[in-house]
Amino acid sequence: MIDADTQLAKKMNSQPKFSHQAEETFAKILDYYQIDWQYEPQTFPLDWDEAGNVIEAFAPDFYLPHQDLYVELTTLRPNLTTRKNRKIRKMKELYPNVNIKLFKRSDVRQLMVKYGLENEAKPISGNLAQRE
Amino acid sequence: MATITISRQLGSLGDEVAQAIAKRLDYRVVCRELINQAAIQCGSPEIALSVIDDLGLFGFRPSTKHRQAFFSVLNTVMEQYADEGNYVIVGRASQVILRARPDVFHVKVMAPIDVRASRLAAQQRIPYEAGLAQVTASDLTRRNYLLRYYHAKWDDPELYDIIVNTARLSPEQAACMVCEAIHKCLNQPFPRGTLPRI
Repeated sequence: MIDADTQLAKKMNSQPKFSHQAEETFAKILDYYQIDWQYEPQTFPLDWDEAGNVIEAFAPDFYLPHQDLYVELTTLRPNLTTRKNRKIRKMKELYPNVNIKLFKRSDVRQLMVKYGLENEAKPISGNLAQRE
Repeated sequence: MATITISRQLGSLGDEVAQAIAKRLDYRVVCRELINQAAIQCGSPEIALSVIDDLGLFGFRPSTKHRQAFFSVLNTVMEQYADEGNYVIVGRASQVILRARPDVFHVKVMAPIDVRASRLAAQQRIPYEAGLAQVTASDLTRRNYLLRYYHAKWDDPELYDIIVNTARLSPEQAACMVCEAIHKCLNQPFPRGTLPRI
């Protein structure tokens, strides 16, 4: 039987390098609910030049294999949301069979502290958890 | 050939009881795949996340149209499992959706709130207060889910054939009691080697 410390150590080693705190928080929530996830597992080409080279592509933040769902996160900044929405629209046109959802992440830190999840996550994420 | 539904409170060891029952009866446990299957089939896989989200952490609110489509497919998928039989279906209002079927046995697994909060605190290495907050939020979400979408009261004893309090029972002991009740209620012989033993 694997004890909790071993599981924690395994988790620490397997954590990808997130590019944003919101992604890390989202991953913690997925872990809490025991939802399997992959971080940026695939890049979808969106536009090509005349020579056939990819000039625009999109790599959704998460893939949830059991839900067969790609998830893209965004903060609430309108310019960022508009740009991502445009990419997602384009992606849906080019890849109609791929399920993707844009999640607008508001700050759930207070909720996570209330439920003890932030404390639990600190040893996993190390210094990253102290950011923001 | 029968189906068992398990309704459980967070921290009540309901999932462990479901596994123990399934092991004794040689049944299969279905929980998440039911939700995922229904969500994918109705064309809104993201709904699965909102249904799993007991604590409201995703903050995702699907539209009424998508929810209705999801619940319609969920009912169909659940009926299919019940038709096939030999399943332990965990949660998702299965006790309400399948309540009219005589071949389905409904179990509720509960425990006092302080016991559940203490269990979560120990499992997750969090303060008791955080465990209590999780349990309270989960109870509220599950109660509202049943009331809002199925007009049923989560704590209505008439929804269940047996209610088991795991405050002083291990999952194995609880499963044993449930299996005995199933045997008497559905009058089914147990598969070889699964006779109840405490």
